Amino acid sequence: MTELQSIKIYDNFSFMKVGLVQISPYLGDLEKNFGLHLDFIERAKNKNVNLLVFPELSLTGYTLKDLAQEIAIKPEKNPFFDRIKTLSREISVVLGFVEEKESGMFYNSAAFLSGGKILNIHRKVFLPNYGMFEEAKIFAQGKNFHTFPTPFGKTGMMICYDFLHYGASYLLFVGGSDVIIVVSAAPGRGTSDKEAYLTSRMWELMGEAISRFSTAFLIYCNRVGFEDGVCFAGGSFIFSPSGQMLAKASYLDEDFLIHEIDLEEVRMARKKWSYKRDEKPEVILEALKRIVSKNED
Amino acid sequence: MKINGAFVEKILIKFIQKELSRFNYKKGILGLSGGLDSSVCAVIAAKALEPKNVIAMIMPYGDSFFEDVKDARELVQLLGIHSKTIDISPMVDPYFARYPTDDRVLKGNKMARERMSILYDFSAREKALILGTSNKTELLLGYGTIHGDTACAINPLGDLFKTQIRQFAVYLGIPQRILKKKPTAGLWNGQTDEKELGLTYDEIDKILFQIVDKRKTKEEIVTLGFNKDDVEKIIKMIKNSEFKRKLPPIPKLSERTIGHDFLFPYDWDK
Repeated sequence: MTELQSIKIYDNFSFMKVGLVQISPYLGDLEKNFGLHLDFIERAKNKNVNLLVFPELSLTGYTLKDLAQEIAIKPEKNPFFDRIKTLSREISVVLGFVEEKESGMFYNSAAFLSGGKILNIHRKVFLPNYGMFEEAKIFAQGKNFHTFPTPFGKTGMMICYDFLHYGASYLLFVGGSDVIIVVSAAPGRGTSDKEAYLTSRMWELMGEAISRFSTAFLIYCNRVGFEDGVCFAGGSFIFSPSGQMLAKASYLDEDFLIHEIDLEEVRMARKKWSYKRDEKPEVILEALKRIVSKNED
Repeated sequence: MKINGAFVEKILIKFIQKELSRFNYKKGILGLSGGLDSSVCAVIAAKALEPKNVIAMIMPYGDSFFEDVKDARELVQLLGIHSKTIDISPMVDPYFARYPTDDRVLKGNKMARERMSILYDFSAREKALILGTSNKTELLLGYGTIHGDTACAINPLGDLFKTQIRQFAVYLGIPQRILKKKPTAGLWNGQTDEKELGLTYDEIDKILFQIVDKRKTKEEIVTLGFNKDDVEKIIKMIKNSEFKRKLPPIPKLSERTIGHDFLFPYDWDK
């Protein structure tokens, strides 16, 4: 049986409820964050949510520095993950954690759990390491952007800064993702006369563009709260495959955004816009090879 | 450099609330001079913590700055917060009687540190977290006394330039008398910041904004039409005061050293 066949695809399943958990995790406290996750899973189940998305590093908090090594998890040997796996028979869950994939190799990872299994672990590829960020000092770099089958169609994941590199979205688009999930711990930066951080617009712009031109759902879950004075901006959102904003959480405040999406919209968008049909990854690949091979210091 | 008052207010309130709850404090304490920055901080603290949980320490030197003390007391009444007035001259005068000086900056620094000492003492007595009142402009210029007025547990106003504090104060409805006051560090009577710095805060902040927020070089800023001497003066002040914005360096000996490679978040386990 292929991997795809092993996953239960709901018959005539078109509508699904997505829940975005815009929280402020406890910094460095796995136990409290486990509790927080279980609470929201319970609440989401009560509201018939099919897919529940937590933000980046939702199990640990973001500003970890040396703490990262102390609270890393191996999901296959972790009792909390076992519990979530069991719960994922009823509700699919995306969450973020520090993963010790091999001994001494720490990743900023996000897992997609469904049907009692971990369907995919995405390891952050683009680690921000400039200005206020120092992720490359802490984490090993992921190497791939997978599109993987889920009960809701083919799905791809990115973590925060991955999403600001549009090549990453392109790989999910060409890989066939119908649903793109971005988990984030994005700090707000820049003030103006508007009632929002300047950077919030950057994420929304990307969400609109990538959903529109990938003709895929774009689900972005950011966190809120403060760590060492840094303010995480919230503003989680869902865009439709035609680039329409369907739902948006508040800026700065904790929020639990639940929205029902119609997966049929992917098909509708692709009937109207032929970006996917007309894409030429082989041309892009050859052109990239030529550019990369010429790249000299 | 425009700010949205409501947005800034929301962030600062949430920040103060979060930090206090993190460290298990209900009350906040601050030094209230009657000037703009500490008044803005008092207003925000009253909104974040409820007036009954805010303590304003008014710490004049004798009868100097009488008007400021009056303004501070009026604001305390207006906000309904707690306050305590302590004259620092009985603590400061004996020291200078023994070690006299005519240097006004030395005297002013000593007074700033006396206020800090009282603030930390009352922070412990009242179990109240110290809210700083230093703005981005003075932090960047080093226009404050190290271990004096810059000492605090959290600093809500530290990412707002002086001119942005003014914009914010208008939004908050700070009394006109405080709003129109000439900014002073209060080191001696008749001192104003702008006279001492030789530039207005409008001029200083525009240049700081280009240097810091826009990451422009000296040459690029001069091309924008700013005076070269002013830009150089400000860059020099930033460089000369970096020590005030950092913890003192430790010479590395061991395999893991505080500040070098023993690195944990401030909010560790909070």
